[in-house]
Amino acid sequence: MSEATLQRPRPVALARLRHATWQGERIDWSAYLFILPFFLPFLLFTLIAVGFGAYVSFTEWGVIGDPTWTGLDNFRRALADPFVPKVWANTLKYGLIVVPATTIVALAFALFVNQRWWGATLARTVFYAPNVVAVTVIGLVWVWLLDTRFGLVNQYLGYLGIPNVPWLTNPAWVLFGIALASIWWDAGFSMVIFLAGLQDIPKELREAAQVDGASRFQVLRHIVLPLLRPAMSLVITLLIIGTLRVFSQIYIMTNGGPANASASVIIYIYRIGFRDFDLGYAAALSLMLFATILIVTVVEMRLLRVQRW
Amino acid sequence: MVSVATPADSQPQPRRRVSGTVVVLWVLGMLVVVAWAAPFVWMVSTSVKWPGDIMTRDIEWLPRRVTSENYAKVFAQPVLRWLVNSLIVATVATAFSLLSGAMTGYAFARLHFPGRGVLFFLVLATLMIPSEMTIVPLFIGFLRADLVNNYAAFILPSVASVFGVYLFRQFFLSLPRELEDAARVDGAGRFRIFFSIALPLARPAVIAAAILLFTTNWNAFLWPLLVAFTEEMKTLPVGMATFAPGVGGQTQLQSFGPAMAAMTILTLPSLLVFLVLQRYFIEGVISAGIKG
Repeated sequence: MSEATLQRPRPVALARLRHATWQGERIDWSAYLFILPFFLPFLLFTLIAVGFGAYVSFTEWGVIGDPTWTGLDNFRRALADPFVPKVWANTLKYGLIVVPATTIVALAFALFVNQRWWGATLARTVFYAPNVVAVTVIGLVWVWLLDTRFGLVNQYLGYLGIPNVPWLTNPAWVLFGIALASIWWDAGFSMVIFLAGLQDIPKELREAAQVDGASRFQVLRHIVLPLLRPAMSLVITLLIIGTLRVFSQIYIMTNGGPANASASVIIYIYRIGFRDFDLGYAAALSLMLFATILIVTVVEMRLLRVQRW
Repeated sequence: MVSVATPADSQPQPRRRVSGTVVVLWVLGMLVVVAWAAPFVWMVSTSVKWPGDIMTRDIEWLPRRVTSENYAKVFAQPVLRWLVNSLIVATVATAFSLLSGAMTGYAFARLHFPGRGVLFFLVLATLMIPSEMTIVPLFIGFLRADLVNNYAAFILPSVASVFGVYLFRQFFLSLPRELEDAARVDGAGRFRIFFSIALPLARPAVIAAAILLFTTNWNAFLWPLLVAFTEEMKTLPVGMATFAPGVGGQTQLQSFGPAMAAMTILTLPSLLVFLVLQRYFIEGVISAGIKG
């Protein structure tokens, strides 16, 4: 902001503005220019989009023409839609598999790579690596690994005498199959959050406990785990939000099949909105998903806060 | 980085005996490491196998005969065009969101202005909103504005990264402000201070954010899937998904060779970047989300 142009029209008022204070300190007017490059797209593509999405969910709308206000019709339709409980149940079931499994795997990984053992750095690299790879790769590689007859997983299980598991072709197994891929993809990220938490634990605490004769397990149980609670809470929250939004892996691996057993909420929203172009109903379902995420997250945070180790 | 203890540790510490439990845990851990790397190895191995050698009764980690036929099949598709699309989209989106994130993060950390608290809360609150909730309205908006099937359509929704703002705010809060104060006394304006002092000092944060944002943009799937209407406007992850034997129902076993070749091509750039810059990757994640 050049001072010359600022001061020309009304010097007194502008000088007052330049020295204006807020909460006892001079206001940095340039701050608004600093935040503009972020807030302009943020306003357009996030805030307005959210508001517009909420509005569209009360309308009926194909791509052509204008939305017509239908009040709560979309939500009434959702309550009567037999697919809605189905896809919500699928998604929650998937979350119940993936969230605990990923948390446990990631915690074990973090405890392992946090040791000063030979190979710990290598292990950290390998555990995190799947996280940087595109979801297309995760999906396709696991379709191949989980192939019922020739997939690597079933071949090795066969060596152990376990009969072929129809990972992706049987409605009872498909969510487990997709969960395997998701855990492989995501555990590294949660591991890093746990690692950050572990590195915040003062060494003196553990050493003192060990001097007092505590075993490795006791140190873990009574010192490390309680102090990891903030990290644990963050990991679980992020995993819940992530699993309720699951889409890409499923789209690539099964596209919701077999018999819709792996159709997640967003798979269904995608079909309604972008295959049938029933945008009003799709927006209403998105709003319901957002409400679900909000409720589950709040409940989870409450539970974790009161829980004792 | 986790340092690896060597036998010749310089500090004269009492040597701890390696207990049996430690050995067992170490062996178990290393087995998991091997298992975790196995899908990548299997992917590459499958990608150079002849169609007849892919489905075998016994597992063949090393192909008996090697072929480039699968890669030739992949390159029959406009893969190079997809690669160029992905590079342009990911680079421009990352550059924009880095600049906007650094400036806004700096303002939230350093500058004093009415609305700072409210605006920052607003930014954080949107972290809770799934991007899928904005995807229907965004799609409609872009369709109406005829902003589909071109680079602007890919890039625009990702130029404002809440994550970037958050990461830079955390970084600037932890940065001592003496240098900036000295420059201020010398009469430098806010923008000069930001671009010539604060931003250069923020190099570690810039690198960490750049890598994380680039990976996110590079791997984006749902939005590019929606706004790419023609083959030559697809990004690499979306284009490569056409090799999926699963999509469309029946698994066609014959196609696993080309599919794994496509996945190898898609994996190599991100994996190489990760291996070279992994320290920044992991420390970036640590400093970003967690110490807040």
